[in-house]
Amino acid sequence: MTAAEIFDRGYRKFDGDRGGSLSAIRSVNWYTTKSILGLGRKARHKVFPVIVALVAFLPAIIFLGMAILIGDLLEGELRPEYWELFGFSFMAFLVFTTMVAPEAIVRDRRDGMLPLYLSTPLTKVTYLLSKAAAVVSTMMIIVLGPSLLALVGFTVQGMGPDGFGTWIETLAKLVLAALTIVIVLGSVALGAASLTDRRAFASVAVVMVLLGLAFFVDVMVSGVEAPDTLRLLDPLNLPFEVAPRLFSDRTPPYQDVSTSLVLLGNLGWVVGGVGTLAASYRKLGAV
Amino acid sequence: MMRPVAVISTSGLTMQFGSQRALDSLDVEVPHGVTGLVGANGAGKTTLMSIALGLRPHTSGTISVLGLDPHRDGAQLRSLVGYGPERNVLPEDMPASDFVKHLAEVRGMPRSEAKGRASDALWLVGLGEERFRALGTMSTGQRQRVKLAQAIAADPRLVLLDEPTDGLDPVQRDEMLTLIKQISAEYEIDVMLSSHLLEEVERVCDHIVALDAGTLVAQGPLEELVGDTEVIVVDLVEIDDRPDSVTSVESRLVRAGLHVDRRDSELRVTGSDRTATLDLIRDAVAAEEARLRRVQVGRRTLEDLFTAVES
Repeated sequence: MTAAEIFDRGYRKFDGDRGGSLSAIRSVNWYTTKSILGLGRKARHKVFPVIVALVAFLPAIIFLGMAILIGDLLEGELRPEYWELFGFSFMAFLVFTTMVAPEAIVRDRRDGMLPLYLSTPLTKVTYLLSKAAAVVSTMMIIVLGPSLLALVGFTVQGMGPDGFGTWIETLAKLVLAALTIVIVLGSVALGAASLTDRRAFASVAVVMVLLGLAFFVDVMVSGVEAPDTLRLLDPLNLPFEVAPRLFSDRTPPYQDVSTSLVLLGNLGWVVGGVGTLAASYRKLGAV
Repeated sequence: MMRPVAVISTSGLTMQFGSQRALDSLDVEVPHGVTGLVGANGAGKTTLMSIALGLRPHTSGTISVLGLDPHRDGAQLRSLVGYGPERNVLPEDMPASDFVKHLAEVRGMPRSEAKGRASDALWLVGLGEERFRALGTMSTGQRQRVKLAQAIAADPRLVLLDEPTDGLDPVQRDEMLTLIKQISAEYEIDVMLSSHLLEEVERVCDHIVALDAGTLVAQGPLEELVGDTEVIVVDLVEIDDRPDSVTSVESRLVRAGLHVDRRDSELRVTGSDRTATLDLIRDAVAAEEARLRRVQVGRRTLEDLFTAVES
């Protein structure tokens, strides 16, 4: 007979190897990702991400269902381009963006985690890097997920891109387009959210910057007939224009705006968002 | 790695914020054991701690913590240091065990090790049975213990605690001070705690660093600073028809060469010889026809030291 024994090790010294900054970044990244998705938290924290994911994936699921039900009849006008799926889930992305950035950074300032993190191997830069990585990875699930599902689903139905090379090229373009959307929206949202310590205010700040500027630009271009290049000041719609450009297409509002200007405009928003974020954290006291 | 002689060593350490000098040419040696960093609010305690953690570059001078330069080797140093902040705000919906485990991982513990160490640290601070409770449901005393647990979970060589007894009742304060003494004595973790409560610093610290407006007021082993010097407390009664009696007694004692610290109607008298001092007090009280409530011989405290330095 084996004698079972409860063995209390108690507090003791640690002789093993300690992880450095990289281990700290990984740990904060994983903790933030779980926090955004509501993992390991009460059910009410999971409701919002689940609803947003359902709304984001719904168009892709509907088109896949139609492909299964009516097959070839879906081809032609009815079937969207892969990049068009980004636009179908536009509202879900916007809502998710307003939640993700405040959850990622404002919570730490409110909960007193920031001074604790900065007393570890993390610095302000590595802390913000781990947060940005968490924002990008969670947003990629929502932004890239639906078009990836469509690509795989249509391929399984025999309606995917022709040949392996084209398939890989389509996949690469979708990943690049999604990354652009996520990085631009994420940078702007992090920059706006860094201006306040209140999560609700941070969400409002993100909405104000994204929707407010989009509305202003639309009124100016459509109403007052300002030049189309003014659309570069619209951080909400501008990143979505990169997807059609990658697939050699362009949307009507950006018809007269060159691809290089679209790319430059997106880069400008990333620099603006990251700059605001850096300036806000530079001012914050460490301990 | 050999233990450096001093845990923290500074030379001419100066920190300037615009026109304000937060630390002024500090020469400090913090040895192993429990060190109390004392001083009023604004004395420079938190600034010194943040420089020691490598979170702020100093203006001039040098500082070495555990043999490392905090500014140059900040990340490496902070993996060896635990920190308990003053602010009593923690994530409300997070269980204590997850909180401590997460910070142990961020401080460099492998994931496989962090869970067990978090549990051990929480047992050590007396929260073993409560470790799965959300932090938001815990009392102030329990939250202070959780802050101590997260500071020690990654087996640091040095722990910096900022006002660790803030908000605690006397019983909880006793328990916290005992814990701090225990982690230093049993696990060879050096502790530097900042406090403005001199009485609690005296109870737990082996060594004192006292700051005032960014300058070093005193430093050294506690017994050397407070020593065996006796203080005789002379408590006089204010008399309506002799309103100057306390002042007159005080003046007589000062004229007799004694050091007198007056607090309302209480005189704290320090002299080299107890019997002679008591005789002088008796004579002064009799000569001024003052009314005596109490005479008590006690040990000199840090508060007396501070008052003496200020005066």
